Amino acid sequence: MIFNSLTFVVFFAIVLGVWQLPLAWRSRKLFLLVASYIFYAAWNPPFVILLWISTVVDWWAAQAMVKSERPLTRRAWMLASLVANLGMLGFFKYGQFLLDNFILLAGSIGIHYQPAQFAIVLPVGISFYTFATLSYTLDVYLRRAKPAKSFLDYALFVTFFPHLVAGPIMRPTELVPQFEQPKRANKSMLLFGLALITLGLFQKVVLADGFLGPVAEKVYDAHKGVPMALDAWVATFAFAGQIFCDFAGYSTTAIGVALCLGFAMPDNFRFPYAAVGFSDFWRRWHITLSSWLRDYLYIPLGGNRHGEGRTYMALMGTMLLGGLWHGANWTFVAWGGLHGTYLAVERLIKARFAGFVPGPALVAGIGALTFLLINVTWVFFRAKDFTVASNILRSMGGMAVKPIAMIAALPMIYAMVIVAGIVTTHWVMRDKTLELVVERTPAWIVGVVWSVMALAIVAEQGTGSAFIYFQF
Amino acid sequence: MPSSTSSSEERGVLHHEGALPAGLRLTASDRPGEAQPVPTRDIPKQPWGKLAFAVAVTLLIGTSLLEWNARRIGLRAGDLDNSETDWANERALSAGAPVAIVGDSRILFDTDLNRFEQLTGVRPIQLAIHGTSALTLLQDVAANPDFKGLLIVGLSDTMFFQPFDGYGGYIHKRAQYESPAKRASAQIDHFLQRRLAYLDSNHRLSVVAARLDPNYRRGLDGPYDDVWKVQEVGERRETHMWSQVETNPLVQAHARYAWKGFKEDYPFTPQMIAGGIAKAVKAVATIRARGGEVVFVRPPSDVHLRVNEEAQVPKVKGWDALLRATGAVGVHNDDLPPQAQNLTMPEWSHLNRACAPVFTDAYVRALARLTPRITLVANAPAPLGRVDCIAAQIASKS
Repeated sequence: MIFNSLTFVVFFAIVLGVWQLPLAWRSRKLFLLVASYIFYAAWNPPFVILLWISTVVDWWAAQAMVKSERPLTRRAWMLASLVANLGMLGFFKYGQFLLDNFILLAGSIGIHYQPAQFAIVLPVGISFYTFATLSYTLDVYLRRAKPAKSFLDYALFVTFFPHLVAGPIMRPTELVPQFEQPKRANKSMLLFGLALITLGLFQKVVLADGFLGPVAEKVYDAHKGVPMALDAWVATFAFAGQIFCDFAGYSTTAIGVALCLGFAMPDNFRFPYAAVGFSDFWRRWHITLSSWLRDYLYIPLGGNRHGEGRTYMALMGTMLLGGLWHGANWTFVAWGGLHGTYLAVERLIKARFAGFVPGPALVAGIGALTFLLINVTWVFFRAKDFTVASNILRSMGGMAVKPIAMIAALPMIYAMVIVAGIVTTHWVMRDKTLELVVERTPAWIVGVVWSVMALAIVAEQGTGSAFIYFQF
Repeated sequence: MPSSTSSSEERGVLHHEGALPAGLRLTASDRPGEAQPVPTRDIPKQPWGKLAFAVAVTLLIGTSLLEWNARRIGLRAGDLDNSETDWANERALSAGAPVAIVGDSRILFDTDLNRFEQLTGVRPIQLAIHGTSALTLLQDVAANPDFKGLLIVGLSDTMFFQPFDGYGGYIHKRAQYESPAKRASAQIDHFLQRRLAYLDSNHRLSVVAARLDPNYRRGLDGPYDDVWKVQEVGERRETHMWSQVETNPLVQAHARYAWKGFKEDYPFTPQMIAGGIAKAVKAVATIRARGGEVVFVRPPSDVHLRVNEEAQVPKVKGWDALLRATGAVGVHNDDLPPQAQNLTMPEWSHLNRACAPVFTDAYVRALARLTPRITLVANAPAPLGRVDCIAAQIASKS
């Protein structure tokens, strides 16, 4: 089920109610485990089996790695975990993509291959829980972490419903220890958790789905014509706002939900549209994914320890695979490739101007340029194919032939005001935490903001649309 | 200092690990290549109990105002909206059903399911979707091996032959709307909609805000050009015209404007019509092959629209050719008896609520004469005519 659904409201009310009962800690954890399976099964019950397979395989692989001191055996178990997890991910997420590309490739050399049609349904959140469970076996293999003492705690780490389907991608060392001691939120935690849920749902239901998504759709899903430059830019800015509000909204809601139960989840966003440069952006955007890719892909590929050439290769390889992680489409690979290029160029410039400290005006200028160039990457992320992407990029560059207006005035104004608000907020808060700002704000303002957001959610009603990142 | 969920209670908003500026918190991005510790989550010091109470009171007052306003503008509790999941639920129920209806909004609005049931003893499954080609839905039923009953295809000529699915294209992603979570949400949604009038997708905050734009920007179809609320949906997708379209001149005028005369901005070429007929022939043959049957119904449209529809898809080239090619029987509004003609269509495209039973009565009786799949029950009520819906309108106004 999704957070912005009435089913979740009922589900969460029941979970919270039972969680407060004076039951033994083990019983409460068992309840949370069952509730998490119900949460996942509410999409498609049979896919719970995949979750079980992933859980059991990685539990046994980690146990076997601990029992053996032989490097070869440890590596074999680590590889078994990789094959099982990435095999499932590959089949369900990339099976059709690989097949389609094979058919195209075969066709290009004159072989007309027509395989039987098979529809693969993508299990929700498979990319997220696969990465979470892989981090468990990899951390144990790399001796960064000890395996969980209890299977229940480990299963709960994999399945814990707030992070199960769209992150934040948690590491075992972040969550498993929290299951070792009884947890129950006190009044402040519970109510601040509810405030975070309100903020997250406001971002998702009101801003992303209500005001920004439709503006992006008008251009990116247009059935005819190419957009004017203004429309192309506004739609892309709107999507930049939408993807942030959608995903950061999910993460904030997840953090709030966990907090209501007494658990802590890590930050997943740190005001990314105030980034100055692309390495800064990736320290602020989808932090748990970027750090996962850094720790388990970029560093093992050599990182920056084997010369410049190897560093650039590792960088580009990581970003290309990171792009593919988002979806089985070449547009996502292009998105990752563009980010890899940005990071490489930034690294070159930093090396060339080592020691140079920019002034405030230049920092603001670099920040603005970063934001604009990030928006160019969003074109590939949002466009369903390269034809749409190239049409929009041409329009953004003022090179479209017979462009037409696509976005009405008021929706355009709403979107731009919201996006400007997001970017301004990010700059104001770039070196702060939300909690710090809330603490320093007068209570009556906090109350008004919380009330307005809650009322806006009620007035928007919501259509129960899925979060964009679920498809990843 | 406020509490934290991390291991150290004395850590608060202002005191953090490492040499960070006040208020910053380390994340995984700051700790490359190492095991990540249990995260820190700070709880800002605020009177959370009082704030939560204030928010609850504001929500209560705000929701009451929304509800008051909704009823003021003519929305009513019990209007269940028309969701994809509701359609998917009905589609699942069509397996083994004796009669189902597909088509666009005309057959959706103009069929009174109660009248249908009174006449035949059978309550049809309503699968029509507004803004959708009946051909798309006919093909969907053909692809459903569990449907072996009578399929009534209600069509408007241009929409049937249009080269795209229309609004109901979501039926191709039906599985998304059949999950246990979606079904449960629909049930809860209906529970609330039976009690609250303001829960209406046509009056969401963002939708209302967008419609404040009276086409400021020239040269494009803005939110003002969209079709606004024209329907009320009851249980099991029983759909009628929204009362405000019948009585509120502004709402009615906008609805008429939104149809834009049913003039499409693409030509209906002979190839396009032939292609549509070919697909229909195939779908009808598929349904017949497993024991089902298909009939066509053409509900009325006002002369303001009819003249344009006829100009784009002439009856002889569309409707007549379709019946001939499929070998199916059909009931065209033009062929109904005079007492079922010239019914009230406030916005030119659909019958008002009172006249829907009259049209239903007329086409069901006509179908009963054309196909053995429809039989009138022995105690079927007497035929209805135009006077009945006018009388019903007068009665409802008084």
